[in-house]
Amino acid sequence: MNILEARNIVKDYTGHRALDDVSIEVPQGKVYGLLGPNGAGKTTLIRIINHITAPDSGEVIFDGHRLVQDDVRSIGYLPEERGLYKKMKVGEQALFFARLKGLDRAEAEKSLKEWFERLDIMSWWGKKVEELSKGMAQKVQFIITVLHRPKLLIFDEPFSGFDPINVQVLTREILRLKDEGATVIFSTHNMASVEELCDRISLINRSHNILTGDVDELRREFGKNKFTLEFDGNPDALRAALEASCTAVDIVEDVRRKHLAAEITLAADDARRAAIAAANAAVDLVEFKPKMMSMSDIFIKAVEQSNYPTPPEFPTHE
Amino acid sequence: MNNLYLIISREYLERVKRKSFIISTLLMPLLMLALMLAPTLIMVLSGPESKTIGVIDRSGLVAADLRDIDDLHFSQLPAVMPLDSAKTIEAFDGILEIGEDVVDYPSHISLYTKGAPSMQTETVITSQLEEALENRRLSRYDIPNLARILEDVKVDVHMSTFRIDTEETEATSSIVSYLIGMAMAMMLYMFIMIYGQMVMTSIIEEKNNRVLEIVVSSVRPNTLMLGKILGIGLVAVTQILIWGLLVCSFSKWIMPLIVSSMSSPDFDLLSAIGQLGDPAYVLMLFVWIMLFLIGGYMFYSSIYAAIGSAVDNIQDASQLTSIAIVPIILGFVFSMSVANDPNSGLAFWLSIIPFTSPMVMMARIPFGIPGWEIALSLVLLVISFLVMIWISAKIYRVGIFMYGKKPSLKDLIRWARYK
Repeated sequence: MNILEARNIVKDYTGHRALDDVSIEVPQGKVYGLLGPNGAGKTTLIRIINHITAPDSGEVIFDGHRLVQDDVRSIGYLPEERGLYKKMKVGEQALFFARLKGLDRAEAEKSLKEWFERLDIMSWWGKKVEELSKGMAQKVQFIITVLHRPKLLIFDEPFSGFDPINVQVLTREILRLKDEGATVIFSTHNMASVEELCDRISLINRSHNILTGDVDELRREFGKNKFTLEFDGNPDALRAALEASCTAVDIVEDVRRKHLAAEITLAADDARRAAIAAANAAVDLVEFKPKMMSMSDIFIKAVEQSNYPTPPEFPTHE
Repeated sequence: MNNLYLIISREYLERVKRKSFIISTLLMPLLMLALMLAPTLIMVLSGPESKTIGVIDRSGLVAADLRDIDDLHFSQLPAVMPLDSAKTIEAFDGILEIGEDVVDYPSHISLYTKGAPSMQTETVITSQLEEALENRRLSRYDIPNLARILEDVKVDVHMSTFRIDTEETEATSSIVSYLIGMAMAMMLYMFIMIYGQMVMTSIIEEKNNRVLEIVVSSVRPNTLMLGKILGIGLVAVTQILIWGLLVCSFSKWIMPLIVSSMSSPDFDLLSAIGQLGDPAYVLMLFVWIMLFLIGGYMFYSSIYAAIGSAVDNIQDASQLTSIAIVPIILGFVFSMSVANDPNSGLAFWLSIIPFTSPMVMMARIPFGIPGWEIALSLVLLVISFLVMIWISAKIYRVGIFMYGKKPSLKDLIRWARYK
């Protein structure tokens, strides 16, 4: 079952189409990645899901019905650009936001105290926000986002500005919430930071959804017939030897490696043995293994394959 | 609805609890009071220390008429005493030399003092000499019973003005109405300006801070804007209520003290006190101030809110804020001329048009204008602030997510048209 569906969303700003017929389906209980470069339209899509801006056309279905304002109480959203009221005290402020999400005072206070204790920041309760460091403030923002136990959690660039230790703490807490039944959407341009966490992703580029799928399946599909090999010897000899069995042979320049490396794409599914034999004869083969596709690799491939022409640069309205 | 309440109470409490609010609320009336009382106080405190003036009256005619006043004493010296030897007498703070032919040439009078003479000393001496010389000249005509005649012809005019086009039969003084009107217009001008800008800066701060992005994930932008305007408006109302209380207690306890301490109470002042001492009248003024303050504040603060949402920082806002500031200042400036002629056509229209009506109406109300004019003005003000809030909410919704570009009025109008 899908907890969230966005159907054929279109959003125009003056002289710029931020989203062009974008659809996504987010399955219940999964971690969903919304990946793409800056200015692709991710934040606009998230604002529409959060009922902050309205789409020009298309609809958002949340938990089986059309999204309404009250649904934002079932959503926790950590925006990319985030801040707190500087002059307000941490505890007071957290209470304020919790109550905005519909919790009553006593309930909010109780679960706030639990969270503050779990993250070991109880001593900040009476401090003013302006006394906190950026990283400390982000922890508070995280708590504010998840406090009301939302069914859907949306994190926009969650790890930007966090130190590695806090990234770990945050990841642990997000996964814990997922185990308790929450659905999570990550939106980020830094694909490496979330690809291990995501079950399913959509790639957004220049206002279009250019690729959607399960991470494992995408990896398999895009990594099909791709291998990396390491060797000692003459790269040209290798290239010549593999001409028959491969469609592409790219020599990888990497000074960190002891050996030379190449990435190859087989011409046919059953050409692996032939390729190994040919390579073995031409050079001193050290390693031959299936290529691990990273999300960035897949993204670059998908952009190449997508039919959308590159539009001229517009100023981005983030 | 619950969210609106939460926003309002946060905006309100955060400001009211601030030390700066408490201090300025209490200090401002004290400052006003000090300004009002300062001239009197300065006079009292810097009044002349006891001074003795030696008088050499070469004519022998006027010195006898100089009377000691307060701390100024006159002491007659022989008419033939040379000036230079009189100057050396330690006991005198000054020497007044009156010429032989002073009755015909009143400029033949000189005052020699140690240190600069105070204004008051000079006034006392000249006025006494004028009176003495006038008497001397009059007596040359040999009119019998002169003193009685003079006493008899002395007149001091006090005119009571009455309105015949309203039902009020009370006497009103237009000077008092003028002063009250100006004070009220001034007050509205200040409040609308200060609190309107407070709405703007607070929105800019939220936007800059990016806390806005977090708030709007739980609250509709419209609710946030409205909550902010209402919350800050409540702060203004609180401040006025406190000041109202202070003014009331001032007029009840302190005013009588001032009046009784004054040696010669001014007629106008007395009638002002009489007018302000009437609880029904004061209450009426207070109700009108409140209504027009709320209307004017809502109208202008929603303009300020739209501007605040569109810009990234105060510097960028300065150009756009003229949209709000210019009419507010015009309203105040016009209210001064309106208070001089409260029933002119200009006065009528300026007090009906919402941009200037709050200030200008304040200047007219103390003169007692027809109720329907006030009602019409208020209704128009309410309608236009509702429209203005609606427009501003549309601009606000778009503006709060616009960063980096300095918007023009044209952009604002375009945003207002977005679906």
